[in-house]
Amino acid sequence: MNRVKIGQSVPRVEDQRFVTGRGRYIDDIDFPDQAHGMALRSPHAHARILSVDLSEAQNLSGVLFCFSGQDWADEGFGPLPTKSAVRTNSDGTDFKEPPRSCMAVDRARHVGEIVAFVVAETRATAIAALELIVVDYDPLDAITDPVAALQPGAVQIWDDIPNNLCIDWDLGDKTATDDAFARADHVVCLDLINNRVTAAPIEPRGAIAQYHTDSDTYTLHNATQNIHANRDIFATNVLHIANENLHHLAPDVGGGFGAKNGAYPEPALVLYAARKVGRPVKWINDRSESFLSDTHGRDQVSRVELALKGDGTFLALRTDSIGNLGSHCATVGPFTISGGSARTQGGPYGFEAMHYRGRGVFTNVALIDPYRGAGRPEASYQTERIIEYAARKLGFDPVELRRKNLIPPERLPLKTAMGLDVDCGNFPHVFEQTLAMTNRRSYGDRVTKSAASGNARGFAISPYLECTGGSPKEFVKIDFRADGQVDMSVGSQSTGMGHETALPQILASQLGLPLSDITFTQADTNATPLGGGHGGSRGLELGGNAVFQVANAIVVAGKSVAGHIFDLPADQVEFADGRFFVPDSNHNLSIREVIDASLDADHLPDTIDPQCMNRNSTFERGIISIPNGCHAAEVEVDLETGRVTIDGYWVVDDFGTIINPMLADGQVMGGIAQGIGQALLEDIKYDPQSGQLLSGSFLDYAMPRADHIPTMEIGYYEGAPTKKNPLGVKGAGEAGCVGAPPAIVNAVLDALQEFAVDHLDMPLTSEKVWQAVKGNVAK
Amino acid sequence: MYPFLYQRPTSLDDALKSFRSADDACYLAGGQTLLPVMKQRLAMPSDVIDLASIGELRGFTVAQDRLSIGAMTSHAVVAQAAEIKSCIPGLSHLAGTIGDPHVRNRGTLGGSIANNDPAADYPAALVALDAVIHTDRREIAAADFFKELFETALEGDELVVRVEFPLPQKSAYIKFPNPASRYAMVGVFAAVVSGAARLAATGARSCVFRLHQMEQALDKNFDAAALAGHSLSAEGLTVDMHASAEYRAHLIGVLARRAVDAANGRGSGS
Repeated sequence: MNRVKIGQSVPRVEDQRFVTGRGRYIDDIDFPDQAHGMALRSPHAHARILSVDLSEAQNLSGVLFCFSGQDWADEGFGPLPTKSAVRTNSDGTDFKEPPRSCMAVDRARHVGEIVAFVVAETRATAIAALELIVVDYDPLDAITDPVAALQPGAVQIWDDIPNNLCIDWDLGDKTATDDAFARADHVVCLDLINNRVTAAPIEPRGAIAQYHTDSDTYTLHNATQNIHANRDIFATNVLHIANENLHHLAPDVGGGFGAKNGAYPEPALVLYAARKVGRPVKWINDRSESFLSDTHGRDQVSRVELALKGDGTFLALRTDSIGNLGSHCATVGPFTISGGSARTQGGPYGFEAMHYRGRGVFTNVALIDPYRGAGRPEASYQTERIIEYAARKLGFDPVELRRKNLIPPERLPLKTAMGLDVDCGNFPHVFEQTLAMTNRRSYGDRVTKSAASGNARGFAISPYLECTGGSPKEFVKIDFRADGQVDMSVGSQSTGMGHETALPQILASQLGLPLSDITFTQADTNATPLGGGHGGSRGLELGGNAVFQVANAIVVAGKSVAGHIFDLPADQVEFADGRFFVPDSNHNLSIREVIDASLDADHLPDTIDPQCMNRNSTFERGIISIPNGCHAAEVEVDLETGRVTIDGYWVVDDFGTIINPMLADGQVMGGIAQGIGQALLEDIKYDPQSGQLLSGSFLDYAMPRADHIPTMEIGYYEGAPTKKNPLGVKGAGEAGCVGAPPAIVNAVLDALQEFAVDHLDMPLTSEKVWQAVKGNVAK
Repeated sequence: MYPFLYQRPTSLDDALKSFRSADDACYLAGGQTLLPVMKQRLAMPSDVIDLASIGELRGFTVAQDRLSIGAMTSHAVVAQAAEIKSCIPGLSHLAGTIGDPHVRNRGTLGGSIANNDPAADYPAALVALDAVIHTDRREIAAADFFKELFETALEGDELVVRVEFPLPQKSAYIKFPNPASRYAMVGVFAAVVSGAARLAATGARSCVFRLHQMEQALDKNFDAAALAGHSLSAEGLTVDMHASAEYRAHLIGVLARRAVDAANGRGSGS
């Protein structure tokens, strides 16, 4: 694979390593003299901690160090802060951020919160020691339902936060929305729940900390997605040391999906432990702990209202959503229920006015933080469910109603009623392109065939509007080595998505270098001075454009070197297909020859810096990109058992310029698989009385598997590359699970039309569907 | 996992001796339940006696009227062996629905029935097929073997050696898997053995049970149509986060009809 281009399905260079078992994940790393840490987690959802007795554990042979929440507090370490971009209530007051200590000190507020930590010679000894710790708990009443938690007299998670309300925030023009509702011909209203799910990456979280006595510095290997931002949190906020005294890096990371974005307590605990015991300390979360202690996603209870004219024209959309934040604010915390869920309300449809209110509420469950989409899947679900519901209630054809209200391309660019800057796209084209793939003409035959075997068939089409996010700056550094290798160091981070292919592909394409010459480094605070890691579908939008930009800078520098060799002014030198040349002359050199010349200081004039082609570049995003697209699903429901099978899936995405279609397909498929999981299977369930996690293992938490995932037909609309960034890309990573849940749920409800089922909350388990069918005699 | 003494006897006698001389021993068959439970520190046997090296527990033989399967035979072998497929297709199909390829290559017939998980698949087959469990000391009819939740007729040190199945005229198994664990949320095995209809359900109660009323209806006419109007009471059926008792009762009816259809060569399941 030597000459590669942008737009080419270059096979993933990292896969050789991954599929042959040579990936290097956190638990593959061991340092000499390494000790092992394990956390003791609260078995109670809500309890006062009266005392923690570590003495027996400390006396166990092989135990090196134990500490309790009180010991941690006595060291004076700071809490993990929330970095939510939204920080004020609608009334202008500050949101409430309770201190998120890395360990529970005098009160535990969810099952799984860390109460004590043990460091031992072996993991087995650490586990044995956990059983010797005696904690005296005084259990308190727990609350898990965010709506109930808002009621007067509800259990208080934090003594100084009345009604457990973290934030009460709104966006949009309330008066104009109320006004539109007042004069609407039709108003429909739907209450719905967006189920709590967990990312369950194949690699659980883990970290290894080292303390270097000589320099009083630390090294932290950590299975995380956000090396630089979390370095700052651990150093500045928690340990109170200078950022540069903590070298933070991630080896291969086996999936994150947002759940590894934030800063968690355990890495801070092993940093402290490594200093105390003077040895490297490794901690690996097991799967049961992951269910309890990873941040979860979604969990919103919403009322959605739509106002329409008599002819079906949308007037206004009103959403009031309550988000269950868990017991504390996580790193992004209240942003998901506020800005994260507000921005794409209304999807790609025209509205006169919109209003969104989001309230974030504390309860005795695990914390919420971004999970693939972080608010946009919720917004898309709210929008598409109310449209489908309106169509059914008011007698509009759901396809026609959507078609009628899509924003036409001639109205772009525009700012939506939620303030989103939509610069380009062609929503009607994408809609029709999707519809054309779905074989609608033979749909009736398929319905008849399904009916003959006792099955009901349903169809739904579901356009979506996305917006990307994540950290707004990205960095890349290119070093050409004399041996021909090209070192690329990036601040963005792949946790399996294929950056190791896509980013070198952009450089190789722009410079005409062989892909195999490029060595890729990511996720290391020593390799790049800044980095935004992973999140918000930012990989190409930020990281890709940084590479594109640095390639241009390298060409400019190369022209001055080539000009020197040609003995001509640099502005006469041109560059194309990997060669510097002067038109209509014999002056023609490959980029490798020019690089070699640039590294040869002895033969360069003083005016040319021998490092001039080794460039770095920081790309800063202006306005976020607006990916969009359309999903369509056909489902079959076994009416006897309620089992749902997805029998057809089609999607067209507008991701602007497609760098590597195969990688884009992978993102789309993976996102849809997670959307299918949320729509049909996945559900984090807590016992409402005790706050115990009921779906705490894969025996009870249903992940989508290969046989749940249909063949997908994927298309792209490439007619609207964005001008918001030089590559013209729009983020692709989260779109799949933004579009899939409403497409699937609406298709199932379409199949159940004759049973007059208005709404079902996800996941659409077979029993839920069967109960709905059984309870509603066919019309 | 707590520390334990690992033993690997090569004969039945040695296995029994090891068991009896230990404080609190456990036999290890395929380990698909025992090992996860030990890893979670929910079991702490003093000795684990691995049966993997005892040759007489492995393999199967088909005689004129019976199929005999060694206790340590893996699910994968039962699922794939052409001889088993042809003589008891429902049993072979059932073995292929257990877990995933990993589980099927490690898990064993003897281990599964000795554990008697209420959602395991094999108990439905043994009861419906009127199998006989041969142990190191006696023969136990399947009907007497499965006692209660995780309880069997086996004595503490007693070892399953093989299971003998009379060859049925018809057999099929339909499973409605739990979406998370893929154990049976409900599974129904339908068979005709010595001319009599036999149906057994798993996953729905604390232990496998027969569907006697439905069997009677089928005795006259082994056809799914004969089950029309037959419903099962939800009383006493399992309730968990995945399914209510009412839903399980309903599913038993649906799966019984589908299993009979499959046994008659209509639809999958055999």
